[in-house]
Amino acid sequence: MTNERVIHGVVGSVGFAVGRAVRTFDPLFVSFNLKLRPDRVRKEIDRFRQSVEKSREQLKRMQAELRRASGRESSFLIDAHLLVLEDRLFVDRIIEKIETDSINSEWAIQQVSDDLFQAYDRLDDEYLRERRGDLEDIVRRLRHNLGSTPLPPFKKLPYDAILIGKIIPPSTLFELRAQRVVGLATETGSPLSHTAIMARSLEIPAVMGVAALPEVSSGDLLIVDGDRGVVICSPSEETQAEYKSRDRGRRIKKRAGASASAPSVTEDGASVSLGANINFSEEVRSAIACGCESIGLYRTEFDFFREGRQPDEESLVADYSLVLKTAKGAPVTFRTIDVGIDQKGWDGVNPNLGVRGLRFCLENAHVFKKQLRSLYRASVNGRMRILLPFVSTVDDLDAACEIIMDVRRELDLKRQRYDPRVPVGVMIETPAAAQTCDLMASRVDFFCLGTNDLIQYYLVIDRSDQSVVHLYNPFHPAILRCLHQVYALLGPTGKSVTVCGEMAADPPSAAVLLGLGFTSLSVNLGAYARIKRMIRSVSMKQLRELAGEILKMQKPKEVEDKVRATVYRS
Amino acid sequence: MIMREREVVIGHRLGLHARAAAKLVELSSKFQASIVLFRADPTNPAEADARSILSILLLSAGYGSKVGVRASGVDEEQAVESICEYLAG
Repeated sequence: MTNERVIHGVVGSVGFAVGRAVRTFDPLFVSFNLKLRPDRVRKEIDRFRQSVEKSREQLKRMQAELRRASGRESSFLIDAHLLVLEDRLFVDRIIEKIETDSINSEWAIQQVSDDLFQAYDRLDDEYLRERRGDLEDIVRRLRHNLGSTPLPPFKKLPYDAILIGKIIPPSTLFELRAQRVVGLATETGSPLSHTAIMARSLEIPAVMGVAALPEVSSGDLLIVDGDRGVVICSPSEETQAEYKSRDRGRRIKKRAGASASAPSVTEDGASVSLGANINFSEEVRSAIACGCESIGLYRTEFDFFREGRQPDEESLVADYSLVLKTAKGAPVTFRTIDVGIDQKGWDGVNPNLGVRGLRFCLENAHVFKKQLRSLYRASVNGRMRILLPFVSTVDDLDAACEIIMDVRRELDLKRQRYDPRVPVGVMIETPAAAQTCDLMASRVDFFCLGTNDLIQYYLVIDRSDQSVVHLYNPFHPAILRCLHQVYALLGPTGKSVTVCGEMAADPPSAAVLLGLGFTSLSVNLGAYARIKRMIRSVSMKQLRELAGEILKMQKPKEVEDKVRATVYRS
Repeated sequence: MIMREREVVIGHRLGLHARAAAKLVELSSKFQASIVLFRADPTNPAEADARSILSILLLSAGYGSKVGVRASGVDEEQAVESICEYLAG
């Protein structure tokens, strides 16, 4: 008999996984359970004690400084921190855990603090509940002083892990992807957050917005069901058996899907270009193996900040060259780094309306130039396209083009080889770019449409805000009109447009894109097979008629019903 | 075993919050006796070690709530006395 419990969230990435919960306490510190050899236990306890001692010294220094600066009054909080370091409920229990379970300090701290956090969360007194922040602070300090590095120095986890946490930044997920991370669940976030996008491209099942997640502790057995959007805590034997049998069925299906590399042509013979979106250079190989004709979007920021700091130019050139060579002549669209989104902070300022994408690049020209130099130097190894993200004015675009010319002149001077015909494009993802893409057309070679951001800005919906995420709707007449307008503005310019947002990855909304005239799509690898199936099952003529009809409709629901009825007519 | 026990009503406006809890730990550490704070409420009983700030915070004793103080050891009498005095505010 188990106490199986089902807690609800929203689907972040499909599929399911069974594993042990690992709480990512701090974006930078994820601890794992390491089993120590018996002779290592004493040393580990010493290591922990040293970290306590070091923390105590730091706090004492801080307290002295605070006293000097603002008198006795404000230093009492440090008193509380210092007392936690002497608390037997905390320190002694951690030492006991290390000893009895022969585990590493990080994991012992995690388990003891998890219990305490849960106890805090159960308190009725809101003021006291908030005090868990003090404990978090202490834990962070201890971890830091243990010298925990963001990446554990070992290759394999001893068990399948499901990452849980309030927020799991995409960078953390990415850093841990080679470990045995089989699933993920977050308290906040939505299917459109970058963490979810990353989970999908890594094919890691994910459930987002699980409000009841704090009840789960590190070490608990969990099932993350990304198909239903639920997390099952302490699943019973029967439930586990049920999932295991589904596992077998799914693998077989997956193999069948991958072999279907038929051309992407509609029933009535219209051909559609279908590319793949990737976040990591390693994905190129599987994209090409799946029969993708192009890499329609390579989000370079994840690889760029891979080690948590900026790479040097030589390693970037090597990476980008490898990507192009692995693509075997298929065009690869490199989107220059788009930071400022949820990779960065969550300090209350909405980064979506701030310095991100091209704005960031223009403000940090040295970073931008380094990437562009690396791209151009790698360009001789295949078919490269360079895409500029988050463009909102022709001025920004001109400034970016000027920097590109600078970089090329520099390379000319150094007599370094590059492909001078590398097409440069603009990502249409702000309403400003959607309205003025025709003005940008003479300056660039191609366009991409980022529907995720476009929809979020058009409909004024923060993609990470649970209270409005249900309003995010690609079938909103405002979006249809916007897309129709972009098509009309760009038609006369003859410049190509590829749609690479989530809208292209969902069969009904992708069908709308086709009907509106967008015949180049690029999707996550996970969606590739299903979009190809959709393309091969529809008639372009019918989709054009459908587009004409839905453009006259007034409500998102009407549009959606009509589209679904057409796409799934059989 | 000999021990002292007394009940007291929390007189600190914010209850046993961080500052009050820290002071309590400091005070308790001056005595040799082991000191336990407890909530006598039969529906929600709880105990806390008066030298553990975390357990005191988790006792979640708000303003006006009643807690018991129990001490055992050579200086138990003074311990109960001064801790109750402190808690009463």
